[in-house]
Amino acid sequence: MAQTEKKGGLLRKSSASKKPLKEKVVLMYDEIFTTEDPSKCNPRFWEELFLMKVNLEYLEGKLEALDGEELMKIKDNINCLFQHCIQALGEEHPIRVVNALQTLCALIRGVHQKNKSTSGFDIINMLVGFDKAELCMKNLMESLDSLLCAEGSESLKSLCLKLLLCLVTVTDNISQNTILEYVMINSIFEAILQILSSPLSRREHGYDAVVLLALLVNYRKYESVNPYIVKLSIVDDEATLNGMGLVIAQALSEYNRQYKDKEEEHQTGFFSALTNMVGSMFIADADEKISVQTNEAILLALYEAVHLNRNFITVLAQSHPEMGLMTTPTSPIPMTPVTPLGTTPPSSDVISSAELPLDADVQTSNLLITFLKYSSIVMQDTKDEHRLHSGKLCLIILTCIAEDQYANAFLHDDNMNFRVNLHRMPMRHRKKAADKNLPCRPLVCAVLDLMVEFIVTHMMKEFPMDLYVRCIQIVHKLLCYQKKCRVRLHYTWRELWSALINLLKFLMSNETVLLAKHNIFTLALMVVNLFNMFITYGDTFLPTPSSYDELYYEIIRMHQNFDNLYSMVLRLSTNAGQWKEPASKVTHALVNIRAIINHFNPKIESYAAVNHISQLSEDQVLEVVRSNYDTLTLKLQDGLDQYERYSEQHKEAAFFKELVRSISINVRKNLAFNTLSQELLLKEFSTIS
Amino acid sequence: MGDSGADPDPRRGPGPDPAPQGNNGGTSLSVISEGVGELALIDPEVAQKACEEVLEKVKLLHGAVPNGDAGEGCEIRCLDEPRLREEDEEGAANTVKTARRRQKNNSAKQSWLLRLFESKLFDISMAISYLYNSKEPGVQAYIGNRLFCFRHEDVDFYLPQLLNMYIHMDEDVGDAIKPYIVHRCRQSVDFSLQCALLLGALSSDMHISTQRHSRGTKLRRLILSDELKPSSAQGQQRRRELPPSSSSSSSSSSAAVGAPGMGQDGTTGLSPSKRTHQRSKSDATASISLSSNLKRTASNPKVESDEEPARLAPEREFIQSLISIGKRLATLPTKEQKTQRLVSELSLLNHKLPARAWLPTAGFEHHVVRVPHSQAVVLNSKDKAPYLIYVEVLECDNFDTANVPARIPENRIRSTRSAENLPEVGMSHEQRTGSFSTVPNYDNDDEAWSVDDIGELQVELPEVHTNSCDNISQFSVDSITSQESREPVFIAAGDIRRRLSEQLAHTPTSFRRDPEDPSAVALKEPWQEKVRRIREGSPYGHLPSWRLLSVIVKCGDDLRQELLAFQVLKQLQSIWEQERVPLWIKPYKILVISADSGMIEPVVNAVSIHQIKKQSLLSLLDYFLQEHGNYNTESFLSAQRNFVQSCAGYCLVCYLLQVKDRHNGNILLDAEGHIIHIDFGFILSSSPRNLGFETSAFKLTSEFVDVMGGLDGDMFNYYKMLMLQGLIAARKHMDRVVQIVEIMQQGSQLPP
Repeated sequence: MAQTEKKGGLLRKSSASKKPLKEKVVLMYDEIFTTEDPSKCNPRFWEELFLMKVNLEYLEGKLEALDGEELMKIKDNINCLFQHCIQALGEEHPIRVVNALQTLCALIRGVHQKNKSTSGFDIINMLVGFDKAELCMKNLMESLDSLLCAEGSESLKSLCLKLLLCLVTVTDNISQNTILEYVMINSIFEAILQILSSPLSRREHGYDAVVLLALLVNYRKYESVNPYIVKLSIVDDEATLNGMGLVIAQALSEYNRQYKDKEEEHQTGFFSALTNMVGSMFIADADEKISVQTNEAILLALYEAVHLNRNFITVLAQSHPEMGLMTTPTSPIPMTPVTPLGTTPPSSDVISSAELPLDADVQTSNLLITFLKYSSIVMQDTKDEHRLHSGKLCLIILTCIAEDQYANAFLHDDNMNFRVNLHRMPMRHRKKAADKNLPCRPLVCAVLDLMVEFIVTHMMKEFPMDLYVRCIQIVHKLLCYQKKCRVRLHYTWRELWSALINLLKFLMSNETVLLAKHNIFTLALMVVNLFNMFITYGDTFLPTPSSYDELYYEIIRMHQNFDNLYSMVLRLSTNAGQWKEPASKVTHALVNIRAIINHFNPKIESYAAVNHISQLSEDQVLEVVRSNYDTLTLKLQDGLDQYERYSEQHKEAAFFKELVRSISINVRKNLAFNTLSQELLLKEFSTIS
Repeated sequence: MGDSGADPDPRRGPGPDPAPQGNNGGTSLSVISEGVGELALIDPEVAQKACEEVLEKVKLLHGAVPNGDAGEGCEIRCLDEPRLREEDEEGAANTVKTARRRQKNNSAKQSWLLRLFESKLFDISMAISYLYNSKEPGVQAYIGNRLFCFRHEDVDFYLPQLLNMYIHMDEDVGDAIKPYIVHRCRQSVDFSLQCALLLGALSSDMHISTQRHSRGTKLRRLILSDELKPSSAQGQQRRRELPPSSSSSSSSSSAAVGAPGMGQDGTTGLSPSKRTHQRSKSDATASISLSSNLKRTASNPKVESDEEPARLAPEREFIQSLISIGKRLATLPTKEQKTQRLVSELSLLNHKLPARAWLPTAGFEHHVVRVPHSQAVVLNSKDKAPYLIYVEVLECDNFDTANVPARIPENRIRSTRSAENLPEVGMSHEQRTGSFSTVPNYDNDDEAWSVDDIGELQVELPEVHTNSCDNISQFSVDSITSQESREPVFIAAGDIRRRLSEQLAHTPTSFRRDPEDPSAVALKEPWQEKVRRIREGSPYGHLPSWRLLSVIVKCGDDLRQELLAFQVLKQLQSIWEQERVPLWIKPYKILVISADSGMIEPVVNAVSIHQIKKQSLLSLLDYFLQEHGNYNTESFLSAQRNFVQSCAGYCLVCYLLQVKDRHNGNILLDAEGHIIHIDFGFILSSSPRNLGFETSAFKLTSEFVDVMGGLDGDMFNYYKMLMLQGLIAARKHMDRVVQIVEIMQQGSQLPP
């Protein structure tokens, strides 16, 4: 081998061209793609191979060019290559390891791309060979695990993660990727956690690690016992969970920042457009969308963490500086301090200034705030499928949060006030609220604001029924918590009430169109029951007696809507039609609201008549309401404060399957050659060697 | 007499370190060994005899110092000089001093002064007074020794005075005090901290590096340094006093590094069994705490370094981080930003807890385990950012030997908090169930609170109402659809509305949330209520030793005057108690951290009169009526009495100390009706710069008089009488008060 190498070196110098060297690896590839054993004539063939710079394009192209049968012929050589790659991973010299990793990537991708139709087992056979598969894959996973955990080069680790991502995303449907069975058996979960727990490696590879974890968790989620699910659900190490939270927060706030930049770019366009805009419902419709690629993979990771790991909930409230504003990539967010007091010299500040930059403009934030902002952007526009998915996932995450007791505790914590700037869609009939004068309130107010915002902005022909149902459910779950814990939130409930009433109005006015596609009665029932919740249990969670009066005022003021709704559901429930059952539920639910309307309306009319006023002011109506409570009897409805807990397996499986598929495709697409390219690595290792 | 001094000598005399003693010649060396041998056993007696002799001289010559005595003082000084640096031998030096005197003039006569010193009446106050006033080294030395006989708490009260004398007065006084300080520092890490902080703060006014200055800082450095570590590390771990195992103090530090638990076991036997204050602990404790260290390392490898951290380091870092938070807060413009930043900084600080840190203002030994960050509030101040934090601690028997509690993650509260606790949250649970008696299960609290298993999280339950625990509630859900089959339950809308207003009325009057005054709400909440609430939300709350403390952290304010005021108040309080004058004042503890920072123990259940007026918009009397009920109710009358007693007390304080800057923000009112003055930044002759003309002796507004029942009322007469009695009592014990202030004047820029 030394001889050939020397020869190569001489050649290069004499002929003064890079070509012969480049050709060398290609030649070796060609040797592999014959039926002959390449090591037959050159016993050191494999050793040499991994000293050559990998030509990914060529290797992958070559694999793709072969059809199934041809590939089967050279199966032995491919198996051999695969095995030697794995062997090379254990080598001391990083160049060999790097080359082996890259070759593996190319091999896995090449074989898969060619054989999309073939079953996973054939692919395993093709790559490793059935007989040796178990041992080989075990060795591979162990090598990757030790590479990831070792204190080695960061780019090497990065390459390992890329290989894993490559392995995980080769098929569109992750559950059909049979080779992942070996990743399940030989878990690399601990390595991923380690990456997330240390600040340095998290900074470098946190994103990849989190995405990898999110994908692995989704492998055969519903069919088998996935060790990653089990392990993720019991992690309780704060440093690791915080690390994960930071990675997610960083990615989300990066999105928020990008969106904000784009929005500012567009700002001038908007306002000029505004003047010309007549007749279109949303300004954004006419103008081009400000769209930034949503990041479903990160959102999925957040979902899995929140859904599976109850310890992760605390991370949501963990403070971190607004990351979007931390511009310098060289001063990354240091790890949350884990060293005990007393181990660092007392002269130095415990919390270094880098951690919480001393900038008055930087508002301290946390993952939940970042997530809420992100949601407000994503949910603005649900027309495009990706955004619809993202929006739905956001609402699912919020559902999980709204069901969690600890999350509710800090959402409602009166001492944790934040100013959350949600993005509001610019609409014709309202001005963009000035961001600055938002009050500082408990976080639950921001959640409610987001829900109200969603309700008022999505009454459109393409009615996102599913999202609306989730949205109302979230509000309901929050109210249940408040009722149960007697939390009297100082929130402008009126906004919610009028949004809900407008929603009912929209449902009725588009009855025929909507009924063709959706069961609008479930939604109507939920909305009416929210009102019932306020009416019957208002004493447990409304902030003041006058807010209870206001509730009545609002119902009375908008009584037309409830009347219409009642007549509609009555009509449908008396017809023996498809909607008889759900419609009759709504009629029963409306009983108290109708009682209120029927009780107070005559009173108000007589008050007007007695005092000779044609139009009563709000105060006068409230006066009438206050003085006539005692003669009103309400019916106690049961189950108002009960809700069905979120359950992924039975209701959402299809959605997640689809989501994971689109994420897989996306990740695969982004695993471009250039990210695997050698330039940086070579630079790094040339100095070592 | 100094034990610390006595300990090393039996081994040191013949040991390899006679060098400094050798300087004094053979006689003195022999004297040392002789004296020490005796001293170790009959310590106080020897000291007394020595004193006795000197005192007599004082009496005879009164002012004129005899030649011999002066010469002796000189000699002693020479003898001491080289040893000042080596604290271990400090005591030895003193021993030498007294021993020499004893030898010189053995036939002593009783003196009146000695009789006083030996009498039961001789208390710490007198001791301090004589220490300060006497110019006679012998008296000072005697008193220095006598300090060991007083109770720790009594001496602790005069610690600022002692240290101030140490720093600012001549060397004899310093030498007399130092052994005691060193001794106590070895014993108690808290005492070390207080000394170190006070020494730093009290020296800070001096001009750069005068001789004396370096003397105060030298002691401070000694306490903080590794030099004290051998004995301090032992003290920390075992709280037993081991003599330094090696002959010189410098080499003993290495002994501490290597196997602190076992290395010194052999020497335990050597240490004299006669300890005045401290019993030595068995080796068992040593091994226990050692293994516990290991245990902690095992359970939390990231948190524990392999080496035992310095005993003061965690605490200093804790304090330092609180101070630097305060400094950073001061840069933020609005209260809201300050509060947010405070909360997030504290949540980061939480990651480092529990730690071997404590709050020096607390009255018991404990470890800090958590700072409930969301409860912290920024207090009202224009340009500085004092803030109030609550601190969760676990009480322990002995700070040094107890293990630092293991960290419990935040989210663990879920398991401790259960559904059963919930009905307490709302007061009207019973009431509601009663009113809805037909549907007892309407309030099915369990489902959202049920702690489901991780397994359940994965395999979601398919049934719709599985989470609602009982059949009836499932049934009731169905009942919406099949209403005819069940008897409907009716409720009156008026009831709901009424309950709402009643509940709001019944909750103890709380303050509105005001972004400009975030502390008002937090301070108004009754302390017990707050403790319960925080305990419920804390992962450590279930532990029986859990306690809640609070502390105000102030940056940019000089608290030395506050400390002085605290001492004066405390003294007045005890004088009035002694004289049975029912005046009520509340001295609050002060920890001076440096010349411009410190901590204050907050007065619980108290809000400022300013906040009361702003929030309630009532006159003070009306507020009393609102809080305590009508004029003739028991509660109002006792609140009124408390008000009068405290008002009289503080009026006297204001008069005596000439407290200025008495605006309503500086006067608190507690839940029992007491008023409490805070902020003694302007006392004696100083006053706010722009308000130099504040002439009134104390603040008594007509509103206050109204609360007392008007100028003609009985209570007002009672008030006047109390004032008179209090003043007379204070006059009677004037010395005790004046002395405190007088000593602190030394070398400081306090108003003369």
